[in-house]
Amino acid sequence: MSKLQLAKRALPSKEGTLFKDVLTLYETRQLKKGLKTADQILKKFPEHGETMCMKGLILVHMGRREEGMDLVKKGVRLDLTSHICWHVFGLIQKGEKNYEEALKSYMQALRFDKENMNILRDAASLQSQLRLYDGLVETRHTLARCRPVLRANWIALSVAYHLNGNLEEAKKVLEHYEDSLKNVPDYDVEHSETTMYHVKVLEDIGDYAEALAFLDVNSKSRVIVDKTGVMETRARLLSKLKSDEAEHAWRVLIDHNPDCTDYYNGYLTSQNISSDDAALLVLKEISSQIPRANAPRRLALAYSSGDQFRELAKEYLTSALVKGVPSLFADIKSLYENQARLESIQSILEQLLAEHTPASSSPTEPTTYLWILYFQAQHFSHLSQYDKALEVLERAITHTPTLPELYTCKGRVLKRAGDPYGAARALEEARRLDGQDRFLNTKCAKYHLRAGLINEAYHFFGLFTKKDAASPSADLEDMQSLLYLIEDADAQRRLGKLNLALKKYAVINKVFDEIEDDQYDFHGYSMRKFTVNIYLNLLTWEDNLRSHPVYVKAALSASQIFVALHDDPSIVKRFTSSEPLTSAEKKAQKKAKKAAHKKEEDKKPAAPTSTNEDKGLEIPNADDDPDGLKLLGCSDPLERAAKFLHPLTTLASKNIDVWIAVYDVAIRRKKYLQAVRALAHARELDADYPELHVRLAHLRKTVTSLPQVPPAPIGEVFTSTVSALLPDEVTLETFNSQYLQRHSSSPLAIFAAARVLKTLDGPLEEVDNTIFSTLGPDVKLTLKSARTMLDYLVQLGSLRVEEYRTSCDQRFPLATVFKTAEEQASLMKETVEMPIASPKDEVEI
Amino acid sequence: MNIRLARIDDLTGMQATNLINLPENYNLKFWMYHLLTWPQISFVAEDEKGRIVGYVLAKMYDTDDGAEPSETHGHVNSISVLRTYRRLGIAKRLMLLSQEAMSTVYKATFVSLHVRKSNKAAIGLYRDTLGFEVAKVEKKYYGDGEDALSMRLRLDH
Repeated sequence: MSKLQLAKRALPSKEGTLFKDVLTLYETRQLKKGLKTADQILKKFPEHGETMCMKGLILVHMGRREEGMDLVKKGVRLDLTSHICWHVFGLIQKGEKNYEEALKSYMQALRFDKENMNILRDAASLQSQLRLYDGLVETRHTLARCRPVLRANWIALSVAYHLNGNLEEAKKVLEHYEDSLKNVPDYDVEHSETTMYHVKVLEDIGDYAEALAFLDVNSKSRVIVDKTGVMETRARLLSKLKSDEAEHAWRVLIDHNPDCTDYYNGYLTSQNISSDDAALLVLKEISSQIPRANAPRRLALAYSSGDQFRELAKEYLTSALVKGVPSLFADIKSLYENQARLESIQSILEQLLAEHTPASSSPTEPTTYLWILYFQAQHFSHLSQYDKALEVLERAITHTPTLPELYTCKGRVLKRAGDPYGAARALEEARRLDGQDRFLNTKCAKYHLRAGLINEAYHFFGLFTKKDAASPSADLEDMQSLLYLIEDADAQRRLGKLNLALKKYAVINKVFDEIEDDQYDFHGYSMRKFTVNIYLNLLTWEDNLRSHPVYVKAALSASQIFVALHDDPSIVKRFTSSEPLTSAEKKAQKKAKKAAHKKEEDKKPAAPTSTNEDKGLEIPNADDDPDGLKLLGCSDPLERAAKFLHPLTTLASKNIDVWIAVYDVAIRRKKYLQAVRALAHARELDADYPELHVRLAHLRKTVTSLPQVPPAPIGEVFTSTVSALLPDEVTLETFNSQYLQRHSSSPLAIFAAARVLKTLDGPLEEVDNTIFSTLGPDVKLTLKSARTMLDYLVQLGSLRVEEYRTSCDQRFPLATVFKTAEEQASLMKETVEMPIASPKDEVEI
Repeated sequence: MNIRLARIDDLTGMQATNLINLPENYNLKFWMYHLLTWPQISFVAEDEKGRIVGYVLAKMYDTDDGAEPSETHGHVNSISVLRTYRRLGIAKRLMLLSQEAMSTVYKATFVSLHVRKSNKAAIGLYRDTLGFEVAKVEKKYYGDGEDALSMRLRLDH
């Protein structure tokens, strides 16, 4: 460092003291005073970088972010070798969640103050967050070396080695650490957890015997206080060692918690049971020892067949039905995959009905009859016999009109049968029977979203959301309700409100950003608490976070919308046209304006006489696009889609829709290699997938219209991949008709072929006919695919829309989704205006 | 249906179940904080497909919170079972597992919880099935102004 630089940093004693004051004032968040003091220094030394940085930091805390940030940057430039300046810079970048840049700043700071504990600790958290484990090991090493007295520093070092894949070093550090311990108090939970971590390290190394020995020693000496943890680890290790003792270890666990099916699975596996009969014997034995346990009785059903199954199933069903267990059907549903078992249960059901119907000779519990009916309704629904299910439910409701479960079941049946309005009405009836129950409220609101009755849904949600929240939606967003967000987004999308749909999908993305961020504090915290094993699980879980089904759905739907926007930019104009707003929309707009105005007020720079209010370093959540219109009109829809999809290529790589979506985006971005590789992935998963078929045709068309082959090094790989996907000599017409022939009974395949026909400029009549073939006797037309087909005919402007619609309406008599627009509008109205039954009236059936 | 110790990958499911059932909700970091501080005492019930149908979220109060060393106690912050999975005794099993862990791992002398004064079913479970006693009434404890019963159960080791 030059003499000049040193000279510029050094302050005379008066200002030097003032600077120390600034640091203290900042630490105690006396922001006004700190600002004043900093200004005092700057008056005399306007180019003192460190003071400038501290002033900037204080300004950010006071909410004057831009001003503060500018000042900090200036300060850094004026004193590039000051660890204080870089530290401040890093702090602010960290507050903005700009972790990569923050780490760079911290690394710079460390160059000029190698053993600054604060900076080192923050750097360690950043390295953990960014998964830069090489750096983490170094940082943790320095921390342990500088402050060996702090036990957490050693654990953290061991963990760093572990994360960096160096298990042997991790083990060594732990051994060294344990040797150094003095006066460990009895029953010390922290030491217990540390020891359990040590066991895990040994297990991860693969030294199961050593791990077990270490576990046993420390369990006997009562160092490890987590008895259940010990038992579970023992059983697991013994199983890995294929030891004879494993059986007993699992049995001990079953006795401890007979409701844990994992223990039974461990128990059965440890005995090398080869036949179902043997397993059955074991389960029966346990059942007799622990008669109240449900798990072995339920597991036994999966291992039995024929008469034995009948006997066990009858007993299992009867006891649950007499008790009145609502989840019984959900519990045994998986057994239906086996046709023989299905038939057994069906006949048991009929038997039970005969035995328990009130009109029969034997007196019986009225509720048992009710629960049998409830079960039977679900049984019929599962088999898609919706009219039978509804008939059974009507009988049940006549018997007991006040049981909400009957109405929720009815709603589910109507939903599956294609009547979302009837379903919503049923759920409203259920909800009314117990207004205090949020479960019923949530389901009711969800069903209204499914029926496109968004405002009604909000009203229901609002009965349980915080009264001081801006709106029910705002509260549910705040509480990170993924269920609400995805249902609302999908509902908006179905209604064509693409702006609002995109907005909600973006909020979902933001929630996952928040969750990813949440782990940050635990990098330091878990070391101080010594809860290492669960911390490691946290990291693994976070690494796989975006495999969450809601994220996948949101990413796929949003990217479809973004692609549509790219293909047809005129869509945006539809949303910015001056259409008259509904009263609900006007209300929403007014509220949004109010909220935006309030935010502006909050943003105004603090008056000189403002308070010491510390706004922290995080960027406040300002929503500048409440209607999602900005998002809809964004200039980079494909890039946004690509970003949204990117994590799925590793975390959801077995999901074929992911690869289709990746293709759609990549091909439009002219990333040809990425595009064909995506289709290659898709092909590996399911070569006959209808959406893949459509994309292969799209690929061929794109390739033939390319002015030139993509240049090297892409060119060769690209061309060969294309040929592998769809041989060059096969014409698209042939390709398509062959596909249609191969899959003539699959409605979605026919749909795909029809779309390809359209892109080949096939005559509208031919496309129509292809779609109409889905009504044929050999085609397994489902309600969902029928709707897709109908929507497509409408989109095409086909002259035969009415014909298709009425055919579907007849084919699916319970469905309302094939009714005319007028009929549906009146059904919606009926649902919205559902009369409230007065207490004196009978509940309408 | 499976009842076992809560894991990190259960957190979003626990949060979702809580949002479906109860008006007292928390952001995910709150749930994380509990598991990462006291990983041995929260439990879940899951269905065949691995969906969370019930949970108990527990914490410990110890000397850090100003309690006397002999008064280390556990506290049930939140417990709920989906309506569709009632009548199976899940809540009872979750409570028993949690209480036992509090006692074994942390040597808790008692466990406490809050319950709505009007929640007969829950009070029945705590008082009659599990043996809790009412310690005091906390007026207007809940967000909607309802009173809470503060209940306690002494634990033996």
